[in-house]
Amino acid sequence: MTATMAIFGKELRDAVRSRWLVAFALTFALVALALAVVQEQGSVGAQGFNRTTASLINLCLLLVPLLALILGASAIAGERDRGTLGTLLSQPLSSADLLIGKYLGLTVAVWAAVVLGFGAAGLLVALVSPVTDFGHYLLFVVLSGALASAMLSIGMLISVLSEGRSKALAIAVLTWFALVLFYNLVAIGFALSVASSGEMLLVSTLLNPVETVRILAVLSLEPDLHVLGPLGAYLYVEFGPALSAVILGVALLAWAGVPLTAAAAIFRKQDA
Amino acid sequence: MLSARAVTKRYGSTLALNGATFDLDAGRVLAVVGANGAGKSTLIKSIVGLMRFDGQILVDGIDVARDGRGARRRIGYLAQNPAFHQDLSVRETAIFYARLRGAPEEAAREAVEHVGLGEHAEKLVGALSGGMRQRLGLAVAQLGDPALYVLDEPGTGLDVAARLELRDFIRAQRARGKSVLLSTHWLEDVPATADEVLVLDRGRVTFHGPSADFVVSNAVRSRLFLRLNGHTDDAIPLIQHAAGHEVARSGEWISVTCPTDGKTKVFETLLENGIVILDFRVEEATTASTDGTGGQS
Repeated sequence: MTATMAIFGKELRDAVRSRWLVAFALTFALVALALAVVQEQGSVGAQGFNRTTASLINLCLLLVPLLALILGASAIAGERDRGTLGTLLSQPLSSADLLIGKYLGLTVAVWAAVVLGFGAAGLLVALVSPVTDFGHYLLFVVLSGALASAMLSIGMLISVLSEGRSKALAIAVLTWFALVLFYNLVAIGFALSVASSGEMLLVSTLLNPVETVRILAVLSLEPDLHVLGPLGAYLYVEFGPALSAVILGVALLAWAGVPLTAAAAIFRKQDA
Repeated sequence: MLSARAVTKRYGSTLALNGATFDLDAGRVLAVVGANGAGKSTLIKSIVGLMRFDGQILVDGIDVARDGRGARRRIGYLAQNPAFHQDLSVRETAIFYARLRGAPEEAAREAVEHVGLGEHAEKLVGALSGGMRQRLGLAVAQLGDPALYVLDEPGTGLDVAARLELRDFIRAQRARGKSVLLSTHWLEDVPATADEVLVLDRGRVTFHGPSADFVVSNAVRSRLFLRLNGHTDDAIPLIQHAAGHEVARSGEWISVTCPTDGKTKVFETLLENGIVILDFRVEEATTASTDGTGGQS
């Protein structure tokens, strides 16, 4: 536990020193604020947070997975590149201690960046718009953090499987493209043409943490079938909003846990 | 303190270690020698738990494969080229590794002082020379007061003075009852530092015994370390010309490798030319061959 905490502390300190996370938090805050201001100018009535939150969904689904995948993919592969992996693993800690310490440190760092970015924007939005949907806004911050946790877990698995940092980053970016940009088309096409069934639609949804969070966010905001998309609409119609949220929440938890567990099992069997 | 039984490591079809078996008692120094690719680093990485292997390695009775964390708590490891995070200072690095080893921060400060890096404590690791990084590695290896030191080619990249300090460090640890396993391809290091020698040849242990049995074959050689009175540049060609000895310069020291009976010629040459010897040290050298009387092959 001591060693895990030492690794955790170092990751957190590195993240604080890192310009990436500061830039990420600032970008989020500025974009969130800009969206809020633009929508406030065109809005009728007091609905600042709800509109801002809805507009931020797509931005969040693009940026958070990219940041988390890159950070996760660099975690072990970067140490391997620098030659410091051997130095670390020659100390009294297990490979799981190292992996978990890094994961926790990065998770807290990304959550902090998300909370800071959205928090700062939320405060400013509250100044120009009466607060009516603050709960939705907070929920969306939590969902963003949860998405980051899941994508960090996938990133750590990529990192353990990659020989070096550049290879890990390339795979991370490809994964991001696949999950964020191409997944819906491929999944829906596959589910409808090759194995046309409701179960396949459900599986297709759960197999992508980005889609899982998107549907959860839409369900919490405005469960409109058009906005939900075919995968979300199937869930909504089949299970209702509450059960759908539980299923998606459990899937998200699994995404945070399963890749990390697989990474730990593989890492334990590797030579440093 | 250290027990290896039938330690075997394969890389695909290549056998890097082939059934290495030996023991190292507390308070003893074992030098592992062998050519490049003989399996020295593989053996050391297996002991430290950086590699999976077949066979069994016990450190203070703890199985490295089953309880690597517990075994490594008893090991101070110095890699051949120690790598640390370049954006941390020397002090931060030592504190970080002290935390990993469950040692107090005060121990980190003391270790940094002990290896002579006290005045460089705030310097970033990325700004350190190779020799200073090696010193930092030695500081980290001392954290937690391990019972066994495992040093992989510890003399690599060190100047003469630092190499001599390293030997003093090894002797000091032995005097404290610690065990030291070091790998080296500098055969001259063996009689100067080790009680026992283990020779590896293509993954197999071909000799393990007292270093006294690891003797010279037909090329008896000594190595002189000399610190002169500022005429080092003049001295090197003189020594080379007088006896054709191998001379290398490292900082303010020069090292001369020569036949054992040619040592006096070096001193004579320097004195005849008015070069004052401020300090010197002599080491008897060996070759890789053994007399086969005391070791187990």
